[in-house]
Amino acid sequence: MSAITDSMDHGHGHGHEPGLHHQYEDMVQQTESYIVGMWVFLTTEVMFFGALFFIYTLYRWNYQRDFYIAHEHLNVLMGAGNTTVLLFSSFTMVMAVQSAQLKKRMHVMGYLVVTLMCAFTFLIVKYFEYASKIADHLYPGAGFATDAKLAFGEHAMEGGKLVANMNHVQLFYGLYFGMTGLHAVHIIAGILVIIALIRLWYNKANSVIHDYVPTEMVGLYWHFVDLVWIFLFPLFYLMPKPH
Amino acid sequence: MASSTHTHEHHIVPTRTYVATFLGLVVLMVMTVAIAGVNLPAIGPLSGTVVNQLVALLIAVVKAMLVISIFMGVKWGSTLTKLWVASGFVTLIVLFGILGDYTTRQFEHQPGWEKQADGALPRVTPNEPEVPAADSNTLNVKIRQ
Repeated sequence: MSAITDSMDHGHGHGHEPGLHHQYEDMVQQTESYIVGMWVFLTTEVMFFGALFFIYTLYRWNYQRDFYIAHEHLNVLMGAGNTTVLLFSSFTMVMAVQSAQLKKRMHVMGYLVVTLMCAFTFLIVKYFEYASKIADHLYPGAGFATDAKLAFGEHAMEGGKLVANMNHVQLFYGLYFGMTGLHAVHIIAGILVIIALIRLWYNKANSVIHDYVPTEMVGLYWHFVDLVWIFLFPLFYLMPKPH
Repeated sequence: MASSTHTHEHHIVPTRTYVATFLGLVVLMVMTVAIAGVNLPAIGPLSGTVVNQLVALLIAVVKAMLVISIFMGVKWGSTLTKLWVASGFVTLIVLFGILGDYTTRQFEHQPGWEKQADGALPRVTPNEPEVPAADSNTLNVKIRQ
């Protein structure tokens, strides 16, 4: 313990660690408070997304067959690719946290940059997916699916009409854009937070170099974003054929 | 830090655990894509479609548990942390309990929003004729021009 930190007496009868804030007894208590606080936030996020998953379940329950036809426009390969990208980014994020525990600053920054690149890759793939839906007029609104044949192909047509109720197809795309869009907003928020974290590490900020927990909290958020996608992927891209 | 009576209690997980978890997640992802292409047989009252969906969700739950316990480190977390982790998902289960209420209600759907006979879990009520699969489309198909 250096003379400088020893002289900063906070009224406790024990030594101080550089990452310890004065309102906490010790690092164990501080870490627990940080992590529990983060999980309280994540619980609200679970409820937030949970309501959307509930809406999805309800309508999927009623319109299984039409949702299946609607989902055929989604590209499974792009979905699976993006799932792998997010899983990999979760891995690099957890490695960044481990490096923070071991106080390997360059490793932390390296892993965070890779995580950031994964996040951008995810958004770029998402951009191409959204663009193909928009090109086929599959965004909910007045001009929805003006050319269903173009969007879904000949096999989904019967007598010039799509073999699905357009209301249900539009509902599916409302849920698709709503839920994946909200997830994408979380990715963008994650990108901003990770950039801020890299900046702190780059500047050797006391808040991150003496304590791994701030890095861990960004990690928890990022894993949560991955977690949401783990459920979005099978529900939207891998719908079972009604049989 | 010699004078501190407290210790840095954080658990440093070996890299190989994280690598194994990541590989496990990728294997599960490939598995769920592969299974989605196979029409699984019906089990008891559950149609094959439902079985397929349940298997996909089961895999997603396993993936989620791997992420939560290993990547998010809840496995090595305190009891209070675990309690908070559980609270979110318990709330979610309570929310989905509303579906139980929904199934017991009989109400008329708006025209164009009738439930589909081959829905994921079709409700069959004695007084309500099921909408035949072939006709449901002709009832209210509106392709907007």
